[in-house]
Formats: sequence, C-alpha cells, structure tokens
Amino acid sequence: MYAWIWRHLPGNAWVKALTSLVLVLGIVYLLFQYVFPWAEPLLPFNDVTVDNGMAVAR
Amino acid sequence: MAERHDRRRGRIAATVGVIGELLITAGVLTALFVVYSLWWTNVLADREAKRQGDQVRRHWAASGPGALDTKDGIGFLHVPAMHNGEVLVKPGTGTDVLNEGVAGYYRKPVKSAMPWDKQGNVTLAAHRDGHGAKFHNIHKIGTGDPVVFETRDVWYVYKVFKELKETSRFDVSVLDPVPKESGKTAPGRYLTLTTCTPMYTSDYRYVVWAELVRTEKVDAKRTPPKELR
Repeated sequence: MYAWIWRHLPGNAWVKALTSLVLVLGIVYLLFQYVFPWAEPLLPFNDVTVDNGMAVAR
Repeated sequence: MAERHDRRRGRIAATVGVIGELLITAGVLTALFVVYSLWWTNVLADREAKRQGDQVRRHWAASGPGALDTKDGIGFLHVPAMHNGEVLVKPGTGTDVLNEGVAGYYRKPVKSAMPWDKQGNVTLAAHRDGHGAKFHNIHKIGTGDPVVFETRDVWYVYKVFKELKETSRFDVSVLDPVPKESGKTAPGRYLTLTTCTPMYTSDYRYVVWAELVRTEKVDAKRTPPKELR
C-alpha cells in the first residue's frame, strides 16, 4: 500500500520524501481538526456529569 | 507449475503486507488520538479558558457595583489541593461549555444553587482529562482542604467534608440541595464537585463535597483569603 503510493509519487527520492511529509502533515491536520473532534463524543472517555441517562445534561 | 506456485505465494505475501500496513496505520491513528485527547485538547481549552477568564476579570475591573453578568462566567474556583490555579465557572455542563476548559454549574438534572444563595448546593462539573482537565487532581483533595469560590465582590471559603470516590453516573442525588450521601441531613451552604473516574475513562463519577465556613469581602487589591496564600 505505502510502497504503491511511493512508486506513484512523482520526482526523485527527495521530492517524494518531501511530498510524503506534506501528505502526512495534511492528514494529521485533518484528523486533529475534523475527525477526532467528531469521534470524541462518541467514545466513552470524557463524560463527567451525573445525569439520569438522558443526553448530556446542559 | 512452479511459476504458478510462485505467483500465488507472491499474492499471499502482498495481502499479508497490506494487512500489516493497515494494522500499523490503525496503531498510529490510535496513538495520534491519545495525543489529541490528552494534549491537544488541553492546549486549546487552556487558551480559551485564559481568554475568557481575562475577559471576566477585565469586566469586573471595569464595571462598578451592579448586576452580575452571568453569561461570561460567575467567578473562579480555587482549589489549592489540585494545584491548577484558578478555574473559570460558567453556566451549564454541556460538552460545548466544559470543552472550553472551564467548570460548569449544573442546570439539569438538578439546578445548582449560587454561592451567594442563603442555602443550597453549588454543583460543578469539569473534565478529568483533556479539554483543560480542570478536575484532573480531584483525588488529591482530602477532608478539611479549602475550596474557594471567587466572585466579583466576595471570596466564599468552603471546607471539604466528604469525598465519594466512586459512584454511578446516574447518581443525581449527589446534586440535591441536601446531598444525603454526604451525611448531611439539614439544609446548608454546600458545594459539590463532580468529574469522571477512574482517570482516562468515564465508567464512574467522583464527587467531593464542601461546606461554606466563611465569606470575605474582596478588597481593592483583590487580596486572596489566607487559604490561598
């Protein structure tokens, strides 16, 4: 999978390495900015209030 | 014959390789999520809490005596035992509020009292981990420790009298005006801190109760009461 991506990136090894780095940083940005904030409330790690089993008390 | 055998082995090896890469990817994603929850959300929340806290203090400094503006926050909570400075207190306990790195007072399921009410229970919630983790060190609070609620004009000094180290997340009676589980039977001026426990999960709730011992008028220099010095 990653070997396939590497083969299909244009340029020589340095250009490929730089492109890969940019791609990785872009993916991390997307994860931190959009994916994780969306996923977090769905996971049972961070409910701090007592409630009667309804949605989070406001 | 041999060629076909080789080709099949090549395909199996490729499949195993892809599965391996996917597993590594899943591991990296999980690690990134941990970094996000335990570090990045704190960075964001602390920044936001600082901004809002400064705003409240500026507002206090600017406005003379008059109506209290509860929209920005009603005051700051100081718990020396938690070693985390001051925590802004805002209305509501929804994730949108608590994720700003503040403590929220309950509006549901049991409405919180205000520190200046003649009697009642001031009930607060904040995150144990991530999003500022304002109640991270709640387990370091012991009986007798001071909890100070700072409003514009008054320091409310409470003393902790009971910790409930684990209770059900449905145990809303801890928020009652007279919380029976704390051992109290008569109305008084109580303060309740709630957060999740054990750390890093939210299977149960951790509760700390305190009782008002005295109030102190805020002076011109905002000299903190002796519990905070």
